[in-house]
Amino acid sequence: MVKGTIYVEHLSKIFKKGNVQAVKDVSFAVEEGEFFAFLGPNGAGKSTTVQIVTTLISPSAGKVYVAEQDVLTNPKGVREHIGVALQETGIDPSLTGREMLHLQCRIFGFTNKQAKLRTSELLEVVQLREAADRICGNYSGGMRRRLDLALTLVNKPKILFLDEPTTGLDPSNRKSIWNYLHRLNKEEGTTIFLTTQYLEEADTLADRISIIDDGEIVATGTPQELKAQIGNDIIAMNFENEGEAEKAEAAITQNMPGTDFVKRSTELNLYVQNGTKRLMEIVRLLDQENLAPQTINVNTPTLDDIFLKITAESEQKRGGVEHG
Amino acid sequence: MGNGLVKDIWVLSKRSVLTTLRSPFSFIPNLLISTFFLLVYDSGLSGISQLPAFDGANYLAFILPVSVVSAAIGGAGGAGQGIVKDIENGFFSRLLLTPASRLSIVLGPIIAGMLQLFVQTILILIVAFLMGLEVATGFLGVLVVLLLAVGWGLAFAGYSAGIALKTKNAQAAQAGTLIFFPLIFLSTTFVPYELIESSWLKVAATINPTTYIFESMRTVLIDGWKFWGIAKGIIAIMIACAITITFAALSAKKAVSRG
Repeated sequence: MVKGTIYVEHLSKIFKKGNVQAVKDVSFAVEEGEFFAFLGPNGAGKSTTVQIVTTLISPSAGKVYVAEQDVLTNPKGVREHIGVALQETGIDPSLTGREMLHLQCRIFGFTNKQAKLRTSELLEVVQLREAADRICGNYSGGMRRRLDLALTLVNKPKILFLDEPTTGLDPSNRKSIWNYLHRLNKEEGTTIFLTTQYLEEADTLADRISIIDDGEIVATGTPQELKAQIGNDIIAMNFENEGEAEKAEAAITQNMPGTDFVKRSTELNLYVQNGTKRLMEIVRLLDQENLAPQTINVNTPTLDDIFLKITAESEQKRGGVEHG
Repeated sequence: MGNGLVKDIWVLSKRSVLTTLRSPFSFIPNLLISTFFLLVYDSGLSGISQLPAFDGANYLAFILPVSVVSAAIGGAGGAGQGIVKDIENGFFSRLLLTPASRLSIVLGPIIAGMLQLFVQTILILIVAFLMGLEVATGFLGVLVVLLLAVGWGLAFAGYSAGIALKTKNAQAAQAGTLIFFPLIFLSTTFVPYELIESSWLKVAATINPTTYIFESMRTVLIDGWKFWGIAKGIIAIMIACAITITFAALSAKKAVSRG
């Protein structure tokens, strides 16, 4: 039996149309049974990566092995072992849920009898038994998503690829999809590769996260590691003008060496472990320097903050934003 | 896991047929219009068959091929429409992600389109018989008409599927079918070639392959087993199929390849 592993080395994709490089030298490996998440904003290259590793489009450069098969030379071998839910559901709206599942089973080589059995199993799993014989063109967004997920599970895939599976869903549907995925990963040992824009989603589900921005992986680690990297809290300040922000920056560099911060024009963000406690020190320091920020807040880090910080870091490398 | 090519084609064609049946308005108007042609032209124009150029032929048998060919074009256009719908609702990608043979993914809707026009042609023939059609070559001749319709339909199906796969756009696929509509009328549609007055229409009719399809069908329906008359249509079909199916195959290859 092949192993449910994903191996990607120096993957690049350039779209000739518009000459866009959507994926830039991306490398990562996912172990069997691991829940791996690609976290990034729209247009970061998440979907392109998914489409390459699932055989839909071919890479411009790099090696990709999925379930120990070479995606380029043995796409059919890959397709047999994976389940894929793309960002847009792939459903024929004129069929019923049951017919869709039955068809998918038949395509994967099931006999009619096996297909019937597997179909009713899966309808049960995604709680669509009652709606099974309704035309799926009339399903709600959440039901469509659930049916789409069931379709990806037909062949009991070793690896499941999910491209933003919960985008646009209400919280209750999102929770139920999370539950299925969690169970699949923990109970069946299915390797899962998920892309998401939601930090919370990656945090709840994934064993390991890669943050992707502008086609590049900018950070990889367990959710804990990534959060530790940014600190528990953010003290966000906004000054009246850039001169004041610069003065504040200088004061902090001088008096609080080692403090992690990012400054962008009039904004100054400090990444700290205990925000409330540090807030007092900061206020005192600014007071001494006769500086008064227009706003000052203590926030818990969000995806935006991690991005702000990580992209600031990579800009800094190129000599852009100042960083402490 | 996975199937042989034949089972893939079987499973996917069956699904395309089901999809077609679920949206009856994709074929009922076309069928009605074709039957309407038959009724109206026969009622309105049958007098001209008194002219010597008709050689005493029954006008119903003369006009029947027009109705059959127009139904075939509409039916074959359904193949392209089916593919476009699949691409638009993401189902095409879902199929590409399965081990199903790439050929079967494209062939499914085309086969369903062929079946659709096969049934349509039979229905039109039944209406024609109810109107008093007499066929010079009997039952076998009717089969030939049916096969000519399916063959000509296949040429259109290749064309419409090719456009669909190339443009991935429903409007373009629809417009592409419309281009072929005038071909029905730039031909020996209502009168034999000898009776066409204007020289431009004579030229159009000569280069228009539809003329030869009409001629083949009319030979079988009116004149009897005359080899050359029938062969012309078959040759036209073979040439057209060779061109459009190559076009469809090339577009399909591009659409299912991983560019």
